[in-house]
Amino acid sequence: MSKGTIHNRDKFLSHIADRLGREQKTDVSRPDWKYQPQWAVYQEKTSDELCALFNENSEEKGTHVLETTMDQLEETVEYVMKTYDGSPMVATDDERFAEFGLTDVFDKNNVHIWDAESGERNIEKAKQANIGFLFSDVSLAESGTIAQFNDRNIARSVSLLPTTYTAFIPKSTIVPRMTQVTARIHKQGGDGENISPYINFITGPSNSADIEMNMVVGVHGPVKAVHIVILDA
Amino acid sequence: MKISLFVTCLGELFYQEAAKDMVEVLERLGCNIDFPRGQICCGQPAYNSGYRKDAQKAAKQMISAFESSEYIVTPSGSCAGMFKEYPGLFQDDSTWHEKAQKVADKTYEFTQFIVNVLDVEDLGAVYHAKATYHTSCHMMRLLKETESPFKLLNNVEGLELLPLENSYDCCGFGGTFAVKMLPISEQMVDEKVRHVEETGADVLITADGGCLMNIKGRIDREGKPIAVKHIAQILNSRS
Amino acid sequence: MAMKIGEKPFFDRVDDALDDTFMHQSMANAQDGLRGKKIAATEGDEAIGDWEDWRSAGEEIRRHTLENLDYYLEQLSENFAKRGGHVFFAETAEEANAYIQQVAKEKNAKNATKSKSMVTEEIGLNEALADVGCQVHETDLAEYILQAEEGDRPSHIVVPSLHKNKSQIRDTLKEKAGYSGTDQPEELTAFARSQLRDVFMNADIGITGCNFGVAETGTVSLVTNEGNANMVTSYPETQISVMGMERLVPTWEDLDVMVNLLSRSAVGQKITTYVTNVTPEVGLQSVDGPKDFHLVIVDGGRSKALGTEFQSALHCIRCAACVNVCPVYRHIGGHAYGSIYQGPIGAVLSPILGGYEEYGELPYASSLCAACTEACPVKIPLHEQLIRHRQIYVEEGYADKSEQAAMTAFGIGASTPSLFKIATKGAPTFAKPFVHEGSISNGPGPMKLWTKIREFPAPGKENFRKWFKEHKKGDS
Repeated sequence: MSKGTIHNRDKFLSHIADRLGREQKTDVSRPDWKYQPQWAVYQEKTSDELCALFNENSEEKGTHVLETTMDQLEETVEYVMKTYDGSPMVATDDERFAEFGLTDVFDKNNVHIWDAESGERNIEKAKQANIGFLFSDVSLAESGTIAQFNDRNIARSVSLLPTTYTAFIPKSTIVPRMTQVTARIHKQGGDGENISPYINFITGPSNSADIEMNMVVGVHGPVKAVHIVILDA
Repeated sequence: MKISLFVTCLGELFYQEAAKDMVEVLERLGCNIDFPRGQICCGQPAYNSGYRKDAQKAAKQMISAFESSEYIVTPSGSCAGMFKEYPGLFQDDSTWHEKAQKVADKTYEFTQFIVNVLDVEDLGAVYHAKATYHTSCHMMRLLKETESPFKLLNNVEGLELLPLENSYDCCGFGGTFAVKMLPISEQMVDEKVRHVEETGADVLITADGGCLMNIKGRIDREGKPIAVKHIAQILNSRS
Repeated sequence: MAMKIGEKPFFDRVDDALDDTFMHQSMANAQDGLRGKKIAATEGDEAIGDWEDWRSAGEEIRRHTLENLDYYLEQLSENFAKRGGHVFFAETAEEANAYIQQVAKEKNAKNATKSKSMVTEEIGLNEALADVGCQVHETDLAEYILQAEEGDRPSHIVVPSLHKNKSQIRDTLKEKAGYSGTDQPEELTAFARSQLRDVFMNADIGITGCNFGVAETGTVSLVTNEGNANMVTSYPETQISVMGMERLVPTWEDLDVMVNLLSRSAVGQKITTYVTNVTPEVGLQSVDGPKDFHLVIVDGGRSKALGTEFQSALHCIRCAACVNVCPVYRHIGGHAYGSIYQGPIGAVLSPILGGYEEYGELPYASSLCAACTEACPVKIPLHEQLIRHRQIYVEEGYADKSEQAAMTAFGIGASTPSLFKIATKGAPTFAKPFVHEGSISNGPGPMKLWTKIREFPAPGKENFRKWFKEHKKGDS
């Protein structure tokens, strides 16, 4: 990306300060909020309980949930491939697939691994795919949501364009709610680290209730969603 | 207990029976009632229409009339709510602001006073009817009084209280709104009347003169066989 | 087009709305349906603790942000530009549009896709881009439908096409887009999906609004259920996000609270299907990300509310919770407000942004039942602000002269006990000619409008004060 620019800022901000009846502020410390109900949510839940909540809330959104162990993971993936129309398929470029021993099953079934170097071709692959495979970085028990820190390799098209998205959810990634994710990003942001350019929270298939308030799935994004919860701990 | 009656302009002009019932109920509970003679109208019609200065005139008159009262009790949730707005009317005038705050702090709607101050829930009332209750917006949302009328009505012998669909929706009164926005108000009151009819009740009960005037006005115009009563009339009934 | 909807005077718009039976019924159905969902996801959801605490948290964050708006806008723009993005501060709609037109011209852009955004409706961006030869394609299903029916406008800030039924939608798509299916929502939606897929891929520019800008990282946060914000921000080379200047939070932690309030209050979801957070890229480019990212921050009259009693109206997060409980909106729908911002928040915001001349009647389109104030997730005292607008309307001389005279008389009457005494004494006599069977059916003067649709009570025959005096005598 080119070098950034800022236009018309000084006049704009000094007008705001005027309206607020004071000098422009150059230093503000964000207070410790008096009300912070978010931290108490599911605070006392065990890892097993959070996992059960994640599954339950995923299913409530129409997501197909499969719980599996490391041993049976490959088998589960084969089952998902068969159930959701198999090839063509696409996956993010993510080291975790190897870590979780999925390289073989992906190879065997011709899953296209996102390859940033080959450019636009990837988008075409994702568009045609029946299934897109990806890892959830953090998973929210409260709502059955997956969170992804996307970048050029862990591309967001994989969760967006195929008819079905299939997310791998290591049980260890399940946290109570969005609070735990945003706290982590806040810490990164505050430390001056570069945060991921695309941070996506996804909860089940794309949907809309715009026509007479009828819920319809698969508007622009995926029509179906699968969560493979891996009991890794 | 010494209390001052704030009868409201609607109560004084149109709903004298309800006002009398209220006096009798409170006396039976041992209250010593006085009637400050300087009272007129709380000023809500002017206030809500944007006439702040004219509302201030009314407010000053009322504050002066009730300044020395111990408790102020009124048969209208909305008018009690208006007394609570008084301090806000005098933000730039510390003397009147202070007086207004004192008046606001000792003001109670009729059922609220009985349940929360006198700590009484059973008035020994008897009223044989199938009825439903209209919760007024100002009582519910400005005064935050949602339970007292039901506590008292649930102890009325012979009264069958039926739930009212969409009870939380406004009846369309809104003071000058009822005439200024007549076509909208008409839709609102019609929907309210329809829901009341659907309960199958013979009597609609409310604790607010404005809503009563509006809903009753429409029910009577449409010739529906439903009586509209102020809650004091039910609570003072013995047969 | 911009913020204003239609040319007719207010009461004509109201009459049109009341004549539209489908619209009328669908608003009521939507409200009734949403009510249960919202309650279940807010005060009814034990898992999140006390909903009131969440509202207080939201209010606290919004108040602090607005009180320090200049600081956080500076931080946001700084962080956005640091990562290579371009920030343009626009005081007016014209300035915003001119900048975006300039970008479009430089890119030689012919097609743009847009995810749902109220602020771009407010500034009339689609028309501005059309003027420079760039067609904007709406991609939110509801906005897509409205765009197909040329000239139709949003009637709800969250569900813009709420006023249209499925057969109207089918007919529009048949006529304008070559649709040939039934009026089943699934089929209509599938058609829109197939039509828009290529549009997404071939657009030169992607346009979004901004639900929340996150100051600490220079991030644009977008909430959708359809995923169209992801589409719009993934494939075009250039992305332009337009943000109302108040729509930001200091940090990600605050974003968490606001997204929760917004999702639950809007349609009773725990979280929307997509929460899409885009920050300009640093280093190597993604294949599916913009190469050029612009953030346009719009004042558009908002600053008029700063430092006034209306400042908290800028706390609004556009969830439409107030619209969804408003009994007036229930009956007249969105278009009658004549503004893209409808319902209670519309009646508060429109006069601030567009002036009293145009929108001064809107604050009167409320019975002041306060359901809006009770519903607002960031505790904006909406009904109080409606009263405040009315005061200004009166003080600035917009009010009807006869009403002013009547209120002056009221003020005198209500502060002069002797006059009131005469009036109450005289009332039964004065009213007598109009009373039939205990009430008045066709009253004179100010009673005339009232009695058009309702009976007016006849003044009681007895004098209450006299009764009370005698009653007390009897006591002692």
